[in-house]
Formats: sequence, structure tokens, C-alpha cells
Amino acid sequence: MKSFFRMSYPYILWIGFFIVAPMFMILLYAVTKGGNNTLTFHFTLENFGRFFSDPDFMRVLWTSLRIAFITTVVCILIGYPAALFIANLSERKQTMMILLMTLPMWINMLLKTYAWRGILMNFDDLSSEIKVFIGMVYDFLPYMIIQIHTAIAKLDRELLTASYDLGANKWQSFLKVTLPLSVPGIISGVTLVFLPAVSSFVIPKLLGGGNYVLIGTLIENYFLVAGDWNFGSAISLIMALIIIAAMYVTRKIDRGAEE
Amino acid sequence: MRKLIEFRNIVKTFDGQVVLKGVNLNIYENEFVTLLGPSGCGKTTLLRILGGFLEQDEGTVIFDGQCIDKVPPYRREINTVFQRYALFPHLNVYENIAFGLRIKKTGEDIIRQKVSRMLSLVNLEGYEKRKVTKLSGGQQQRVAIARALVNEPNVLLLDEPLGALDLKLRKEMQRELKRIQQEVGITFIYVTHDQEEALTMSDKIVVMNAGEIKQIGTPLEIYNEPVNAYVARFIGESNIVDGIMKEDYKVRLDDKNYECVDFGFRPDEPVDVLIRPEDIAIVSPGKGVMRGEVKSAIFKGVHYELMVETKTGVTKTVEMHVVTQHDKENPQAGEKISANDFFVDAEDLTEKEMTDADFVRIANAQAWDADNRDISLTKVTHNIENKPGVYEITFSTEKGTAVTVKVNVVSPEYVEDARHNIGISALDFFITAEEIQESMAISTDLKTWASAEAWNLQDDTSVEITDVKFDFDPATVTEGTYKITFATQGREYKVETTACHEVGDRVGLSFGPEDIHVMHKEVADA
Repeated sequence: MKSFFRMSYPYILWIGFFIVAPMFMILLYAVTKGGNNTLTFHFTLENFGRFFSDPDFMRVLWTSLRIAFITTVVCILIGYPAALFIANLSERKQTMMILLMTLPMWINMLLKTYAWRGILMNFDDLSSEIKVFIGMVYDFLPYMIIQIHTAIAKLDRELLTASYDLGANKWQSFLKVTLPLSVPGIISGVTLVFLPAVSSFVIPKLLGGGNYVLIGTLIENYFLVAGDWNFGSAISLIMALIIIAAMYVTRKIDRGAEE
Repeated sequence: MRKLIEFRNIVKTFDGQVVLKGVNLNIYENEFVTLLGPSGCGKTTLLRILGGFLEQDEGTVIFDGQCIDKVPPYRREINTVFQRYALFPHLNVYENIAFGLRIKKTGEDIIRQKVSRMLSLVNLEGYEKRKVTKLSGGQQQRVAIARALVNEPNVLLLDEPLGALDLKLRKEMQRELKRIQQEVGITFIYVTHDQEEALTMSDKIVVMNAGEIKQIGTPLEIYNEPVNAYVARFIGESNIVDGIMKEDYKVRLDDKNYECVDFGFRPDEPVDVLIRPEDIAIVSPGKGVMRGEVKSAIFKGVHYELMVETKTGVTKTVEMHVVTQHDKENPQAGEKISANDFFVDAEDLTEKEMTDADFVRIANAQAWDADNRDISLTKVTHNIENKPGVYEITFSTEKGTAVTVKVNVVSPEYVEDARHNIGISALDFFITAEEIQESMAISTDLKTWASAEAWNLQDDTSVEITDVKFDFDPATVTEGTYKITFATQGREYKVETTACHEVGDRVGLSFGPEDIHVMHKEVADA
């Protein structure tokens, strides 16, 4: 057992250097002012006050959450029937379909988004928001399908037989057996779609045009363009807290479904 | 009783494999019917066809006077208790049982009433809110039964429902199921491979094998009057011996005629004769109708199960020469080598085309170096000829360490027993005391060392040598010559008795004409 633990040392080191330390730095930046040196810090909550008091920032936050939410809902609406369809195919066809689903994920996201930009340029009537939706749904749908498919595929077929046996037709059996038992799949699908969608900055930037700002773009701007690392860190931290809260809620729902 | 279900000539194949070969079966109201047979006999398939989960290739299922071939499972007034229960893991006990009622849009107060009645029927009061995944196997079983019965079906199908339970719980559930069936008064169709379960619970047993019904009858009929050896073997313990029906009420067993109560066979028809172990009484030798020797006695709790040999099998006795083996040393190479003299059958030399490797094995030739590592024997030279005599064989290693031993080629010596149709052969052999002491399974090793084998004289198939008799103690054996007798299975009767008997006791066996049940030989499938 001891030697087994030792095998995890490199990983712990990795986490310490590349995850814990940077997160600590973001926290540090978020609660300090510019002009620090290595020895003196000016602690302040100014950065947070600035974010929450500015209606423009709040509007960007709201838009980001809204877009991520709608993207997630659309992914469920398209993804669930697709996953159900795949799960009912023969084993070999299922593997084939899942492969087809995951194929686009092998291609760089930037490249795919550029391709969409080229396609959507021909549709001037579409609003920036619709274009961003299309890009996001396209990118994140496979995650949703795979998660739901996994949940449905591991369902015991005998449960459906039992449901028919008890007088439920196919539709009733779906509503009362398949759907409730695939909720954990939907939940993990939501986690995998909502979180990246809410913080995505490449898609809104490339598909939404210059004046379409989401929270991800905002953070990017403060870090790279304005050079205000303190404020950028504060926004990141706010986003992180919102995401943690969202994860906590979904976890709760998941538990509830299991009871 | 009213006929409820009728299977008419049901045929079903899976991937070209015929699972049901035209099954005809009537099932009546309020019956507890058991479909009994080994796995793969088609019993579950028949049940699934009735439930509507499988479609037969040919034939019709009539339910309550109507053909239900095209009726989907959810419209059939039949409910099933599944092998692995198939309870809904996301619902608690109450909701699992209420499932069928909710589908039928039953009122909430009626649901509550019916579910609680079911819970008390299966003795699970107070378990409403429990998660089904947290229940024990027996409790899940009860929920599954309640979930099916709450819909008040005309027929309940049970697909090996007790298979996953331990013995004690299984016995308890058997009584429970029978009580429930009598209480609700509907037809139960029960599938099992457990004959005891079938005997305990059923009003009617349907014995199936290889997609066919072999016999239908009450447990008593099936037990006392099985139609053939297959059914007799499947139900209960049995002695089944070949016999010849001389005339009505007279059957010949092992060269002796016995009175029996069976009639209607052709004169001199070869038959299978069944005598149940509990119908045979042990009496003092000389009394009774047979005599024999106790070969084994197993304590079974209430009774002893004795195997009594009434007729010995074919035997062959050989001599075992226990010798001291002298290792030969080759100091130059730092190697040692050893081998035993051995006997070999002249016929085996030609027929089995014995190779050098075979000789190494029979002579137990081995070589090793100073560190006790095995060294391969690279060269074997001999002057063995294919006629009886004494020859020499030399085994040697790469470095020239060699040992020479004697080979006794003997003419084939075997015992033939025409009445048994069995031949047996074995050879004298040389062996060291250490090898005997190191043996983990002395009888098996003796068979190997003596090349003992027995075979059927007609079709040359091999026959098991079941008995190896010797009069030395393997742990303390010393140099000398010992006699070893190999024997095939004689005629043995299994007897159940409450009195204890020692292995080797001479006893008499007693049974009356009514204890003998004569059956037609099963006709082999074309």
C-alpha cells in the first residue's frame, strides 16, 4: 500500500505546481491592488465592488449565464433522443455511432470555430447571439450525448420487460423507467456542457463579432489587453464561485434523483 | 377445472438451434404447475412465449379461449416474477408495488389499500419507504411477487425465482409461495431445475428435456411412475439397472428373475429397472433377495447413504516391485542420473508407437547437476525388439552421464470378461519407495505406473477403473513385491438406511415386487 502511495508523488507535485499554486495566485491577485512587490501587499476588496457596482459587468455576467443555460437545454433536447436512438442499436453499430460522435472532438476547437465563422458569414440575418448558440451547441453536444448514452446503455433491459409485464406500453415505460434512470447521465452531461459554455471565450469572440462580450472574453481582455491582472483575477474568482455553486446544486439534484 | 392456457405445437428456434420442438400443454385454473428440466431444456423460453416477450416460430397459444399470439405483453392478463427480480431501483418498495396500478390510473386511496394488502400477504409490512436496492435477496423476492400479484392477474409466471437464495431461505420461500398461491387462488406457472422445489410445491409437474415434454403428472406420479430412465434420474435418487422383461410381472436382473407389478411389455424386451434407494432394506447376508459388500457409507443427516456392490467388476492383479534406486554419478561432469527397470507391453510398442520420451517417462529417468538442477536427457539408445524378452535401454545427457536399465517386454496380458463386455489390462512395474511416499494420490499413480486401463470390448471406448486394491501402507512401504488389483465398476446399489454399516460389511438387500418399477428404454432421438 505504501509503495502504491509513493507512485502518486509526481501527481501531487504536478497538482501543487500547476493547479494549487496558480489558484492561490489568482486569489492573491483578486484581493490586492496593483503595484505590489514581493514583500508588501495592499489588500483590498475594491475589485469585487467594482464588478458588482457596474451594470455593464452585471449584464455581461447575466448574458453569459443565460447563453450557457440555453445551450445546455438545447443540448439535452437534441442529445437525449440521439442517445436513446444510439442505445437501441446493435452493439457494433453503437460503437460506430459513438466513434462518429467523438470524431469532431479530435479536431482543434479553434479550427472548428473558424470553420463555423466561414459558414455563418453567409447568413447575415442571424444575430450574433444565434451564431454563438450554434457554435456552442455544435461544440458541446457530443459530451451530452455520450454521457446520456452511457447511462441508458447500462440500464438493465429486464427492467423494461418488467414494465411491459406490468401493463405499461412503450411510451409509459420510457417515462416511468428509462427517463428517471437516465437522470444521472443528464446531470453529468449538464456539468460537462454548462461549465465550459459559461466560461468559453473563443466561440463568442469568433462567432459573435467584436461587440459581443461574454464573461470569458472579459477576463481575457483584462489579462491580455488591459494588463489589469487584479481585476481579471477577481472576475475569474467570481466565475469560479458561481460554477462551484452550480455544481453543488446539480450534485444535490443528482442525489435527489437517486433517493 | 376450467382449461385456462393451451400451448398448441409450439416451435421455437434461436439461430438455427431448435429450443422447443412442438410443445403441447394444457394448464388449468388454480393450478400450481412446474416446468422442470435442466438448463437449456426450453422451459424459460416457453414461459417467455406465454408472457409475450418472445414470439414462437410455429404454433398457437390459447388463453381463456382466445388466441393471444398477437397480443402485446402489456395487454396480457399475466404477470411475471423475474429471475433477477427486475425491481425498479429508482422507486421504493411502495412505488414498485404500485407501478402496475399507477399505469392503470387507479385512485390513490385504492392503491394504498391494495399495496398494503400485498405487503401483508408477503410479510413485508412497514417496508413501504425502503429502497429496494437495500433489501436482502429474500425481501426483494417478496417485493417482486407483490408487484406482480397486486395487478390481480389470472396467471403468475415465476422464472426460477428462488435460484439466488440460500438453502434455508429457499425452503422458507417454497412454503411461502405455496401458501400465497393457495390464498390468492390463481394459476402459478413455475420454472425451475430443482426437482425438490418441484416436488414440494406443485400440483402438476411438467418434466422437459431438450425442447420436449417428457412427462406430465402429479409429484407422486412422476416420482413413483417415471416413464423412462431420464425422468427417474432427474427426480430423486435412483438405482437404474438394465433388465429384461421375461413376461408380465417377471423381470430379469443380473441373471436372476424378480417378481414385479409391471406388465404390458413385449416378451424379452430390454428395459430399464428403477429401484429407489429408500425402498431397499439392509438385512443380514444370506437373507433378502441380493447380497453384496458395502463399498462406501456417507452420513446424510437423517440417514446413511450406502453403496452396496452386489457383483464385482472385472479385475486384474499385477505385481509391484519396490526397489532401491541407485543414483549414478559422473564426477567429471558433476552430474547424477537415475532410472528404473520397467515393463512394457509388446503390443503397445507397435500400436502406440512409443517414443524415447515415453521411455523416459516410464523409466522415470532423470538427471541433475551439483545444484540439483534438472538436466535434459539428450540421448536414448536401446535394443528393444517387438517380442517378449529382456532388453537394455541407456539414457544419457549431453556431457555423457549415462545409466542403463532393463526393459521387460511382455506379451499382452489382459483379462476379458465377455458377460460384462469389458477388457482390462495392467503391467507389473518397478518403483522406488520414495516415489510411493511422495505420491499425492496413490490410487491414480498406481494406475499410471501399471499402465492400467479398461475398455469396452464392443466399441473400444475406455471404461473407468474405479477400484484399486493394495495391502501396503504408502507411508512406510519397504523393498519387496506387492500385489495390486485393479477393478472396474461392478453392479452397485445405492441404499438409504438409518442403521450404520462399515465399509467392507457383507450385507443382504431386500425389496419387494412393488418396489421395482419397470420402464421402457428411452428411444434415442433420430
